[in-house]
Amino acid sequence: MVKTFFLISILFATLTATPSKVLEKNCINCHITQKIPSELLYRRYLQKYSTHTRIQNKIFEYLKAPNKKNSIMPKQFFLKFPEKKALDLNETLLKESIKDYLEHFDIKKQLILHQVLE
Amino acid sequence: MLQSEKRSLVRFLFIYLSSTLLLFLLATFIFYDFQKQNIIHNQNSQLNQEALRISESLRQLSSTFSAPLVYPKTELFSSAIYNLDKSYIFGSFQPNSVLWEKEYYQIDNTLFYIQELYPYYLGVSYIVVSKEINQEPIDDLFNISLLFLCIAGIFFTILGIFLGKLFIAPMKESIEKMNRFIEDTTHEFNTPISTILTNIELIDTFYESEAKTELKRIEVASKNLSRLYEDLSFLKLNHDYHRKVISLNISELLKERIEYFKTLIEVKELKLIKNIEQNIYLTIDKNDAIRLIDNLLSNAIKYNKKEGSLTIRLNNKQLSVTDTGIGIKKEDIKLIHTRFKRVNKSEGGFGIGLDIVGQVVKCYQFKFDINSIYTQHTEVIITW
Repeated sequence: MVKTFFLISILFATLTATPSKVLEKNCINCHITQKIPSELLYRRYLQKYSTHTRIQNKIFEYLKAPNKKNSIMPKQFFLKFPEKKALDLNETLLKESIKDYLEHFDIKKQLILHQVLE
Repeated sequence: MLQSEKRSLVRFLFIYLSSTLLLFLLATFIFYDFQKQNIIHNQNSQLNQEALRISESLRQLSSTFSAPLVYPKTELFSSAIYNLDKSYIFGSFQPNSVLWEKEYYQIDNTLFYIQELYPYYLGVSYIVVSKEINQEPIDDLFNISLLFLCIAGIFFTILGIFLGKLFIAPMKESIEKMNRFIEDTTHEFNTPISTILTNIELIDTFYESEAKTELKRIEVASKNLSRLYEDLSFLKLNHDYHRKVISLNISELLKERIEYFKTLIEVKELKLIKNIEQNIYLTIDKNDAIRLIDNLLSNAIKYNKKEGSLTIRLNNKQLSVTDTGIGIKKEDIKLIHTRFKRVNKSEGGFGIGLDIVGQVVKCYQFKFDINSIYTQHTEVIITW
């Protein structure tokens, strides 16, 4: 009983975790307004690059000079969503935001073993 | 069964069984190892299927956005997922170390399988699946192999004994024929020899004969024949012979036997040197002691030079008989114990004398030594 309560608490805390202020201000707010699926982007990056280090570099490259060619999303995506403009952020802040983004959607936090639900 | 037959059978069985069992052991080991690899291969296939199932689940989870994502775990298998940098992501277990260079491997009693994944669903590049080896089919296989080996062993032992007996049958038949012949012949010898010896003694006691020398020669020849009869009877009946072991005054017996051989010594004009300690007792059967002494004296007289010397010594440790005869070559001394071995064929006999001495010595765990210089002398020492 105690174990189940403990595990459910961890799960709740994980699911209701809020993004950092920097991430919220620079990324999430805009994504919510424009209904751009942030997690889908993260999963696509994961599927292609596997590790956070690699993804971080790729997102950084993209955000420095965003265009359809170096985007992770398919061409059809841009029929529905506008093409991103370059962010007016210094490199340190940008890197921090990307790190927060990856941290926020980190797959490790979402995976659970089957027994937890039983 | 005679000792020589037993020895031949044991030797044959040893060579036959050891080579056959070695061959079977090798074949069984190869069979066992091959089957064991098959069993492990089958269990590896199960790991492979589990990895495929996990990769399919990861693909589905990859397009699921409602947390939490339930990791595809099963009771029989343990699994873990790793990213492209081989960093642990998640799993139902976390192995201490992973041998990334291998696809399948085994640590102690656990099988491991590494499957690479692309696209990297949820960032997963490698799936490591493991499972404890199911020992039951391997144990069954081991028991079957062992049973097979035992049955083969029993079968080939029985076959070996049967074949061995088949091979030694002609030898056994020949020995039996020879024994029967000796038995019949010796039986026929006994009565006439006894008659001759008794009558010589009667003539010598009651009649004044002019042919004393001739009578002595007849007596010597008869005693030699008698000696031969005793030896042959001993060899034939040795296996069933019941010994009556007593504390025997060997000094007295030795004197008696010297007296018995007196005629032979006189005929050969030997100089008899006796150094016999009084009242030496030895725990031995009387007939065995007679056979031992008679054979030593008989050989020493038979192979001595005319007008040579015969030295007999007895003390509480040993009996030695030394002749000044033909001697024995160094290389022949090792062979002299063998039955029917006669290194010098100039004298009569079957070559069974020292074989009998050897048998008696072995029976009482005495020590038997021969010191000889070829053409000069021979000394036979019995130590107890």
